[in-house]
Amino acid sequence: MTTRAVEAWTLEPLVTFVKEAGARLVLVMTSAGQVMAQHGFSRAVDVMSAAALGAAIIASTDEIARQLAQPPFAVLNHQGERHGIFLGAVSTGHGKLVVLVVYDLHVSSLGLVQLFFEQLTADLQAASPKEGVSKQVLAADFERELSESLNTLFGR
Amino acid sequence: MPDEIKTLSSQLAQDPDSLVFLRLGELLRQKGQFDAAHRVALTGLERHPHLADAHDLYARILADKRDYERAFDEWDMTLRIAPNHIGALKGLAFLYFKVGDVGQAVAHLEAARQHAPDDPGVAQALALAQGGGGPGGVPDAARAAAAAAEELAPAAPAAAPLEEARVFAGLEGAQEGLLLLDAKGQVLGGALKDPQGRDVTDAVAAYLAGVSHEAARTTKLLGLGRWTGVAAEGKLGHIHLTPPAGDAVLLVVRDRSVPMGRLAIIAQRAAAAARRWLELDR
Amino acid sequence: MTGASRPAGYGPALDLVTRVRGVRGAMLVSGDDGLVVAEQLMEGIKGVAVAALAASLASRLRRAMEAAGLGVSLFWHLQCDQGGLLVVPAPSGVLIVAVAEPDVNVGLVRLELLRAAEAVG
Repeated sequence: MTTRAVEAWTLEPLVTFVKEAGARLVLVMTSAGQVMAQHGFSRAVDVMSAAALGAAIIASTDEIARQLAQPPFAVLNHQGERHGIFLGAVSTGHGKLVVLVVYDLHVSSLGLVQLFFEQLTADLQAASPKEGVSKQVLAADFERELSESLNTLFGR
Repeated sequence: MPDEIKTLSSQLAQDPDSLVFLRLGELLRQKGQFDAAHRVALTGLERHPHLADAHDLYARILADKRDYERAFDEWDMTLRIAPNHIGALKGLAFLYFKVGDVGQAVAHLEAARQHAPDDPGVAQALALAQGGGGPGGVPDAARAAAAAAEELAPAAPAAAPLEEARVFAGLEGAQEGLLLLDAKGQVLGGALKDPQGRDVTDAVAAYLAGVSHEAARTTKLLGLGRWTGVAAEGKLGHIHLTPPAGDAVLLVVRDRSVPMGRLAIIAQRAAAAARRWLELDR
Repeated sequence: MTGASRPAGYGPALDLVTRVRGVRGAMLVSGDDGLVVAEQLMEGIKGVAVAALAASLASRLRRAMEAAGLGVSLFWHLQCDQGGLLVVPAPSGVLIVAVAEPDVNVGLVRLELLRAAEAVG
């Protein structure tokens, strides 16, 4: 399984996280769903839908937290029969990032994912460029940028 | 081959926990009896869900049945359990060729070559993919895919464990209660039998792959220094794990009549022998 | 013990273990998830890390022991030059974990862990 990054500074923290947490699939993206790095996905279409769904879950829970007048939920976990899905937010010099992790319950556990997610958070914060948040993507540029990102993420 | 299938089937019927299902499933697959192979592999997987070779076998059968999506999942699972499993790396390379993702296929074949540099099939598939065999220097994905597909043929049986005498000369239990493994769970020496006398070497080795990394990581993160051993007590017997040198792990197993303290002494002696052997072998 | 999180009823079980000289902390850990159920730890011990790592190692050892035909795991001890981790899996799937100094009386900790496992059920 390969790990690829659109933003090079995300690569090393992600590779370490995958190795230590035993994660099966990982997406690092902006809160708008723009993918910055991925591990384990074989098809671009899967990345696109996972990113959109992950961003939507974060947006929904942020809104619930807002209505409850509390800070946004730090992490979310869904446990299935064979797999767990973990979503966590990371504040970096590059803005807020969302990490989506799919882990196999035979290989990893929520405890391990949480433990090494803390490490991932610290590593991403240390590695992120400090020049500010990533630029807003204009609708006109969106398709081109998406296509370029996917090409990078799948080594084409 | 039919005789062997018959023999293996009856062995499996007598001992459903046996690992002979791996060989039986593979033979059935080779004979094109995919449904029978599928049943054997699935039953084996139910009993050994953490055995990398069982997932690899199942993936091969699924690939033969053109169920590529599930084959991908099974090979992916194989790599989760045994990250350098050559069969799974080749299998995934094959699937990537199938969908035209030559980059990913090459990445997997290169990983396979790293761990099996003498595998001619891997080298051949890589050469086809990288050598620009197609027009205009573009790699001929179809030919490379065909070569990789050939590599899905059964791997040669794993080399027999090194002669125990070389590693554990003169030590008690060298044939049934001592096992020396590398970091990937490959057997370097010794053998293991369960209380019923069945050979469980490969299954235990597979489950202990990476235990050295795991123990080292635990001690590092908890600030406990260097790990020197793991002693574990089971309902029917005890085990002692020791890191003799590098990432290698030595496993000593005895029944409950051997006290844990004595087991630690046996483990120390065996570790010294393993250390000497590993140094000589270097 | 400074850091303490003890859901009702688990305190006495943890006390059995932490009163042994050389024990730096005791925890109840969910074996499946690797999450802390209850803890009684000295300052500086990372409960979350102990829980996740102990559960992961426990799961690997359990599988290996089952494959070796040794039955369920009753007790294990990760020995290190600066201390150790001693674990008893309770039938409910909870792990009773002790973090100990290198010169601890292992036999005594084992006994108290087994008693704690019985108490936890």
